[in-house]
Amino acid sequence: MQSAALSMNAPGFELPAVSDDAALVRRSLDGDMAAFEQLYRGHVGRVHGAILRLVGMDRGRAEELTQDAFVRAWQKLSSFRHESAFSTWLYRLGVNTALMELRGRRDSKETDVEDLDLAAGGDVPFCAGERGDLERAVSNLPPRARAVLVLHDVEGWKHEEIANELGMAVGSSKAQLHRARGLLRRTLGGEA
Amino acid sequence: MNHEFEWRNQMRKLGGPVEPAHELWPDIAARIAGAPAQSASRRRIAPWLALAATLAVAVGAGVIVYRGPGHATPDASTQASTQTPVAPPATPAEEPQRTALDWAVPSDPALLASAQNLDNASAQLQGALEQRPDAVFLVGLLNRTNAQRLRLMRKSPYAG
Repeated sequence: MQSAALSMNAPGFELPAVSDDAALVRRSLDGDMAAFEQLYRGHVGRVHGAILRLVGMDRGRAEELTQDAFVRAWQKLSSFRHESAFSTWLYRLGVNTALMELRGRRDSKETDVEDLDLAAGGDVPFCAGERGDLERAVSNLPPRARAVLVLHDVEGWKHEEIANELGMAVGSSKAQLHRARGLLRRTLGGEA
Repeated sequence: MNHEFEWRNQMRKLGGPVEPAHELWPDIAARIAGAPAQSASRRRIAPWLALAATLAVAVGAGVIVYRGPGHATPDASTQASTQTPVAPPATPAEEPQRTALDWAVPSDPALLASAQNLDNASAQLQGALEQRPDAVFLVGLLNRTNAQRLRLMRKSPYAG
């Protein structure tokens, strides 16, 4: 909940009209696909943006997952209880769909000594460089490290939320962030 | 200067909405056609979610004490499928989704029950996710369950 609230502060994000969404949800539940299309049009950018970053800017995969997210949203619309904004519910569903990609991955190791060694020497990369360089570097991170970095540094989630939702200890989330930043520093430093 | 502040500022600029390069709605519409939005009468999650969570924790506690000979671990991620099937909401009682780890059955009988319990927990969690797709914490539970399953396979011989 809080994570979504934080992420709403992301640049370029505009809160949709909540009352309109509520009416569109009700119409969708009655089988009105045109209403659901309006919900799709209003929210696809935010959902797709989050998914795209989580899958390392793999546009094809992100579009597949975005489709999956909206199909699931349609199928599970009644589980939206109007306690939060529809945009929040949908955003979390989209993030969830992308995080499912991480299930069972072998790079789910906890804090490795070599990772900490690699990341040692500073908290943040010295210079991020151009946006394109930064996006490429983030995309090349190992999936779990990338997920933690994106959720924390880009989407504005807290370590407690990330740890809870990625099924890791808070310390592991911090270590993964440290690891991700260390890898980025090495990559960006090498290019500079 | 404050590198942390500058860094966070730069990273936040990577955020925000991104429109898909292709029009996705026609495919979405085709997939949901004939599958009405789920009716409110099917909101039954709490009992079996609690069961799944309990199972995941209980099984995990039992699994990690095992110390067996090390073996190469299959890359389960290559088996994973995230495709969402077009299942009409009116057919909830289908057979449980297979997990990415279902095929990796330990040959050691002492571990077989734990492996099956983990697979059951994983299947139930996936079922719970179907009911509450926005509940991201369920992915955490699922990750934990599958991580325990992987750990079990790394430490045990398994049938080829």
